[in-house]
Amino acid sequence: MSNNMKYWKGEEELNRDARFLAAQKNEFNESLPLDEVLSEDGFELNSNRRDFLKYFGFSVTAVTLAACYKTNVRHAVPYLVKPEEVTPGVANYYRSTCGACSVGCGIEVKVREGRPIKVDGSADSPISGGGLCAAGQASILSLYDTERLANPLHLGAEAKDWSELDNGIKAKLASISQSGKGIAVVSGTVHGPTTLKAISDFTAAYPTAKHVMYDAVSYSGMLDANAADFGTRAIPRYDFSKANVIVSFAADFLGTWVSPVEFSKAYGKKRRPDAEGGMNQHFQFESALSMTGTNADHRFPMKMSQERLYLSSLYNYLAQKAGATQMPVVKQGELAGNALKSAAEALWNAKGASIVVSGSNDKVSQQLVNAINVLLGNYGSTLHMDQHSKQHQGSDSELAAVLKGLNDKSIAAVIFYGANPVYNRGQEWQAAIAKAELSVSFAASKDETATVCQYVCPDSHYLESWSDAEPQAGVYHLGQPTITRVFNTRQAQLSLLTWSGAAPQIDADPFAKKGILSQKFEADPYYIYLANNWKSQGLNEAAWTKALEMGVVSGTASAASMAYSGNAVALASEVASVKADNGIELNFYAPVGVRDGAHGNNPWLHEMPDPVSKVSWDNYVALPKSLASELGIKERDTVNIKAGELMYQNVPALIQPGQANGTLAMALGYGRTAAGKVGGSVEKGFETIGFNAFNLGGGTSTVVGNVEITKGDAQYHLAQTQTHHSIEGRDIVRETTLDAFKKNPKAGNDKAATHVYTIWEKRDYRKDGSPNHLWGMAIDLNACTGCGSCVVSCSIENNVPVVGRDEIRLRREMHWIRIDRYYSFVSEESTMTREADIATADAANKGEYSHWENVQVIHQPMMCQHCAQAPCETVCPVLATTHSSEGLNQMTYNRCIGTKYCGNNCPYKVRRFNWFRYNDNDAFDFHFNNPLGKMVINPDVTVRTRGVMEKCSFCVQRIQEGKLKAKRAGKSPNEVQVETACQRACPSNAIVFGDLHNPESEISKLYRNERGFRVLDEINVQSSVTYMTKVRNTTKA
Amino acid sequence: MIIKHLKGWALAAILAVSAPVLAQDAPSADEGKKLYEANNCGSCHALDKKVVGPALRGVTDRRSEEWLIQWIRNNEKFRKSGDADANALYEEYGGAAMNIFENLSPLQVQHILEYIKTAPAPVQEKAQTTGVTAEEDNSNSIYILLILVAVFAVVLLVLSKVKNTLLRVAAEQDPETYAEQMNKLPLWKRLLPKKLANMNTTVLSLFITLIIGLPMAGYGYKFSISEVGVQKGYAPEQPIAFSHKLHAGDLQLNCRYCHSTVEESKSASIPALNTCMNCHKGVQLTEKYNGNVSPEIQKIYDALDYDPEAKPGEEFGDNPKPIRWVRIHNLPDHAYFNHSQHVKVGKLECQTCHGPIERMEKVQQWNTLQMGWCIDCHRNAGIDAANNNYYAALHAKAASDLENNGNNSQYFGPDGKVRITPAMNGGLECAKCHY
Repeated sequence: MSNNMKYWKGEEELNRDARFLAAQKNEFNESLPLDEVLSEDGFELNSNRRDFLKYFGFSVTAVTLAACYKTNVRHAVPYLVKPEEVTPGVANYYRSTCGACSVGCGIEVKVREGRPIKVDGSADSPISGGGLCAAGQASILSLYDTERLANPLHLGAEAKDWSELDNGIKAKLASISQSGKGIAVVSGTVHGPTTLKAISDFTAAYPTAKHVMYDAVSYSGMLDANAADFGTRAIPRYDFSKANVIVSFAADFLGTWVSPVEFSKAYGKKRRPDAEGGMNQHFQFESALSMTGTNADHRFPMKMSQERLYLSSLYNYLAQKAGATQMPVVKQGELAGNALKSAAEALWNAKGASIVVSGSNDKVSQQLVNAINVLLGNYGSTLHMDQHSKQHQGSDSELAAVLKGLNDKSIAAVIFYGANPVYNRGQEWQAAIAKAELSVSFAASKDETATVCQYVCPDSHYLESWSDAEPQAGVYHLGQPTITRVFNTRQAQLSLLTWSGAAPQIDADPFAKKGILSQKFEADPYYIYLANNWKSQGLNEAAWTKALEMGVVSGTASAASMAYSGNAVALASEVASVKADNGIELNFYAPVGVRDGAHGNNPWLHEMPDPVSKVSWDNYVALPKSLASELGIKERDTVNIKAGELMYQNVPALIQPGQANGTLAMALGYGRTAAGKVGGSVEKGFETIGFNAFNLGGGTSTVVGNVEITKGDAQYHLAQTQTHHSIEGRDIVRETTLDAFKKNPKAGNDKAATHVYTIWEKRDYRKDGSPNHLWGMAIDLNACTGCGSCVVSCSIENNVPVVGRDEIRLRREMHWIRIDRYYSFVSEESTMTREADIATADAANKGEYSHWENVQVIHQPMMCQHCAQAPCETVCPVLATTHSSEGLNQMTYNRCIGTKYCGNNCPYKVRRFNWFRYNDNDAFDFHFNNPLGKMVINPDVTVRTRGVMEKCSFCVQRIQEGKLKAKRAGKSPNEVQVETACQRACPSNAIVFGDLHNPESEISKLYRNERGFRVLDEINVQSSVTYMTKVRNTTKA
Repeated sequence: MIIKHLKGWALAAILAVSAPVLAQDAPSADEGKKLYEANNCGSCHALDKKVVGPALRGVTDRRSEEWLIQWIRNNEKFRKSGDADANALYEEYGGAAMNIFENLSPLQVQHILEYIKTAPAPVQEKAQTTGVTAEEDNSNSIYILLILVAVFAVVLLVLSKVKNTLLRVAAEQDPETYAEQMNKLPLWKRLLPKKLANMNTTVLSLFITLIIGLPMAGYGYKFSISEVGVQKGYAPEQPIAFSHKLHAGDLQLNCRYCHSTVEESKSASIPALNTCMNCHKGVQLTEKYNGNVSPEIQKIYDALDYDPEAKPGEEFGDNPKPIRWVRIHNLPDHAYFNHSQHVKVGKLECQTCHGPIERMEKVQQWNTLQMGWCIDCHRNAGIDAANNNYYAALHAKAASDLENNGNNSQYFGPDGKVRITPAMNGGLECAKCHY
């Protein structure tokens, strides 16, 4: 069956849209804006011969004069006193804790000569397990963001002197506290024990102060449900590595939900057909096609407003099997094909080794989920309340109380720490903050909330700060600075301690007299506070040093048993209250890239295409085909959308396969009005990116009903990367089912060998190449979740420039690795494999388009395949791309003259052309054009200039480094350790790289695996990348 | 103060010689040289010059070998044993104790003494005039000549034009007298051989253009590939007149003492000033400058904001100023070079690329650093594959190829043994240096 499957990348391709067909003929959108340039004054195209001669003469003279310059005198400035641990030219690695969001992954920071240049997951951290998400990877660029505040602000004016600021704030705090009015410290979720101690020191010094946490994308419903059912307001720890069956109701647990890196790692382990205890089975029920949904074995579209109903049905199916009391059936909820029943069957068969999760912020739904997990006996095996997660603890009701307090003036001072309510909790916060006698923000840049605060005391970036974290009860991480503070900032904890008078006094810096020899870190008061706190917990000096080195403090979770005291049956009336008709529903989701919008000024995250829609640089309204045809919406149309009181006009529309009929979806995290030059700033005149979906009701709820939608007047071209590289109906991805795989491990991958023609002499690098190494890569399509972490990691490692929305529209993105996403249709029992079939189905159920709701997805990372018989090499007129004896397809920038022949001849379309000089170019204002932003550049990789081709190099700089280390130590080639940047970042271990000459290496084993196939093997380019056939666990219970 | 630092060196020295040294019977100067370098004797001693410690040449004549062995191995014990000479020497050098080298066997000390005895006397060389200055002078005079030639040519042209005009005016007035002269061929045609003079003017001018143009184009091409951006001989003034001739040549400090990262990093690195201070906290050359610190050494102190006169613990101030050295060797951004690959793995001497650095008062770029220069070496240098486990497979392949193909094998070396060049191990492939 799978052999005949038809894959397609987007609606345009499927429908053979004329524009698409025209576009797919040209890989490079060649039209240069010549007319535009030449039509400026004095530069008319129809200039005469004399003009031509004038220009010619002028140009020749100008070039000659320009060439007459003296070579720059370059300087070298060595350290005055070199720190012992620094060797110029050699990177140091420090363990720390990621501060990109509240999940708190353990990280490893690569530092060259005192500047961090790469962040990866720390293998010793149980949260990251060595992987890291795209947002975590990209967060390093926020350190070098010129939009950060260089000095604290008071009433909008820069104040260089902290002590003056401190005195003003302290005086106000004292008088407010004495008058008995409230002080609110509003933060995102904070779980660092020492940070919490600093906050409690503050609230102790000012007795009217209260600490309130909230999450921009709220988990309140779930936390409140657990508080009601278990007596603890916490999210359990989920162990997906033990789950044989996973049922998720719109929880994007691989993308953004709770602790995605940890979950991807565990999920990836169980996602292989040869996994210990069998491959897991994944059911996803959701409205919008989420990244997690694209990975599910069975995905069922549903309306989220009916979630309670479906959950109660699932509960009843299971209760029936368990012999427990069923809920009184008020309304029967079931989906097409008895989906819930089959999910219940599978769950019951995997009792005690299954997980049911819901991404909704509805307390009742979450209580039903709890009851189902209790029925299945999952607590204690896959769910752990004792080692609960502390990553999200926010409370919407407490935040609402602060807003009320500010409005009735019972709260007179408010301090924001990692919180931006004006952006993500509505405009009423702006007015409320203005009423406060004292308002302070710790924001690093002048964000929406900081703009309306009296004081902005910029927090240092997490890579400049000392910190600790307790992401799960008993799991402790430490964070350490990896660079001296770039600006005059102060970490928020120290600001709070200063105001509460609890900051450790460094009496007359004992090192001051030692001048250049002084140890700045040890003189940091917060370091002393942090170290003292840990040492008071019984950590001795050696253990503390060791903990700093590893980034992890081993601890033990309190083994307090948390008994379930909930009662699902009692929820019947709540379930019954669900309205059957909720109109058109709008779903909100945090996108995998910019998440809740806190990273709104990070160009790497905007440039990374959405894992599902492949749209970059915008959010949009995703709508199902049925609604699109009803409204007459086609590609590049816009919609007007009204939810509640607010109406957005001309929002870009996207027809999203897999979107449930009668529902819409919109990403949060866009529409920042004070993010900066990249993300948009009203004050500075930078265009806002996308629309703020928080204002439509997102953040606190995942869905709103009765949305009005009409076709907009405007047209908008979304910068999508999906249709750039047509698949041309070729056999590029392969898949099979678990049953078929068990019968025949080569299932889905047993294509008869096609005729192989070659005009070239056969090359065998195994025999004739270097005896030392032969490099190869293997990618497991089962493990790849499509999260895009590798894309960002590759960009950072290889200095890949950000090109921006307009260039992506012209299909000029520069990413060396992309993740291709292929859709295929599934109807009830069969898979529609031909366009004709789909067209027939379209005609048959016009208006319904139920087959459009049911799509299967495969993600396929695609990068240079390093073909042994590479078509690009044979067409290069200047030998700029050649093959190495170690099997690498080498790209030599200094030889390249930019003919682009190689790109034209590449069957995988992975070569990228530098249409412009992207660095040092203010037209590409994405941090590579200023000295601060350039600090993130990897010094071991050339920054490419205009007019040359580039592509994946298999991270040759890392290969060379690994080889050199072995050579210096006299080790054998088999001991060379090389990890490519994409492999290092992958949270689900889908990418393996290594030496094929070493028969024991993991890569050699994977090359012998029966699931392995090479893309376009029939054209005999002999690629060096093997893909593992995707196996779907569609086994019926 | 010095003693404190000497202790540090002693430790370093002990670590450096922790590798067992093969015992040999007769004192060998070669062995001695190695030991001399490995133990950083040159940090305090020079052969012909009093530095921290006395000049070493002739020491074997001044003292008995036995005395020297005792002194070198443990001068402290020796002094305490009451040797009068030893104590006198100690006093003479202001109580600055020499390090203890008990790790050296008496035989090893003999090796060192043998080396001191046989070490060649330094050749006094005139300071080299750099090629650049000479060339610059040359090219200046050529320019002046060219300008003069151009001026004369213009004068000549003008004069001949004037003459022709006068002739024409005269001919108009008196055609008969001047008819002959008017019908004459122009001078330049008369100068050419008859055949050429009768040629079509267009063809002729093309021909002449080619004759002049081709050599010019050839020169332009050669100039662009061998001169543009090539900075061979570049020897800029440095902020501190640091002399490699003094430190590496006369004092024979090991290059790695200052360029300590050369074996582990891509960069040999310019030493941080704390490295300078290891010696120059003590060595101030006050005797040469009327009791003042040498002005060049003072620059180090200024950079560190260091006051040698201040109380201990207060020598360093808060106003350090980093030193901006002028970079001499500038590889383009797209070329990757790693020192450790060449020095540690390839076992090259610094001088192979940097020239006789130990004789340079002012450092200059010795080689072109062009790609062709790199490639030459990669084609011809040998890899010591037999002694590095990393190359085991390569060496085995080469050995078997040599056995099978004899002197037709590409691995056939001049001595008949296996010879592997970097080129044979992919050393000419683009991505070895360009990424």
